Amino acid sequence: MSIGAVALNLSLEDEKLFASAEKRYAAFADRSEIGRPVDVVGECVRNGSESVFASDFESARVQVTANSVVFRGVKNEYALDSLMRMFLSWELLSHNGFLLHAASVLRSGRAYIFVGKSGAGKSTVASLSPAGSVLTDEISLLQRNNGEWRAFGTPFWGEFRAAGHNTSAPVAGVFQLKKARENRTKPLDGAALLRALLPNILFFSSKTEDHQRLLEIAGAASEEIAGHTLEFRKNRRFWEVLP
Amino acid sequence: MNSAPNGVWQKNPALAWREIDDETIIISPTESVMHELNDTGSFVWKKIDGRRTAADLAALLAENYEVTREVALADTTALLAELASRKLVVAADGEAH
Repeated sequence: MSIGAVALNLSLEDEKLFASAEKRYAAFADRSEIGRPVDVVGECVRNGSESVFASDFESARVQVTANSVVFRGVKNEYALDSLMRMFLSWELLSHNGFLLHAASVLRSGRAYIFVGKSGAGKSTVASLSPAGSVLTDEISLLQRNNGEWRAFGTPFWGEFRAAGHNTSAPVAGVFQLKKARENRTKPLDGAALLRALLPNILFFSSKTEDHQRLLEIAGAASEEIAGHTLEFRKNRRFWEVLP
Repeated sequence: MNSAPNGVWQKNPALAWREIDDETIIISPTESVMHELNDTGSFVWKKIDGRRTAADLAALLAENYEVTREVALADTTALLAELASRKLVVAADGEAH
């Protein structure tokens, strides 16, 4: 499968899990069999090799060593989905990208990214947007390619209960949602945008060098992408005030 | 002696940090906490190198901002005490806490 510019070649030993994964990630399937090999196994025995990245979800664990990526103790699709997010959040460091807890909506060929605290209106923005225009209502993937920031859909579900679209578009801007009586935007400078982005970035590594790399990528995004606050009354007319 | 003029500090090596505009964003990976420094805080932060004393840092601050040495020293020692309390700086090798 391919998510953003990250190609993964998943091998699942459990047939039932394979069937549910095939369905869940259908829109992101890529049968070319290129990509980084990822072994998904049910047993929890840990590899003694030194990990370059490891993270746990309940009793399941993603472990990346110098020459392998293994998801261990994966008993169901929820564990698989969680380990996928964890692994992707780390793997994207090598691809100038990051996963962002944000809704992304396409309009006139560009992606509008909406971040905000729980309840600020991400799902509302998605629900007020035209059918087929929501790239994702839950987890956005932002990646810098050839000097351009693009937003990609991801297969990680939110309240839409449907996988995001496997497509991408140049980023029009990032909008920090705030509930208000009227729809209005105000520009954010780079530092303010970085402060808005960081708490919403999915990241599971505890290594300093990984955090430093993430800061460099998110810092570049904050300097290069237009940031705004969107004071947002929960109605469809918010589109009229977007730059 | 944490905030004494002859105290020497170094950045906590476990931190990730980045300047943006005139601010500095610092992340503590183990605690997943974000810290922010303003313009003058960022200036001092960049100059903390494990060799300069608080008085050295204050002298640099006074040279670059329109403040007296006394004010710069008071501001610098207060900032260092705050940074130390947040574990963003640690005493340089050989320095007693």
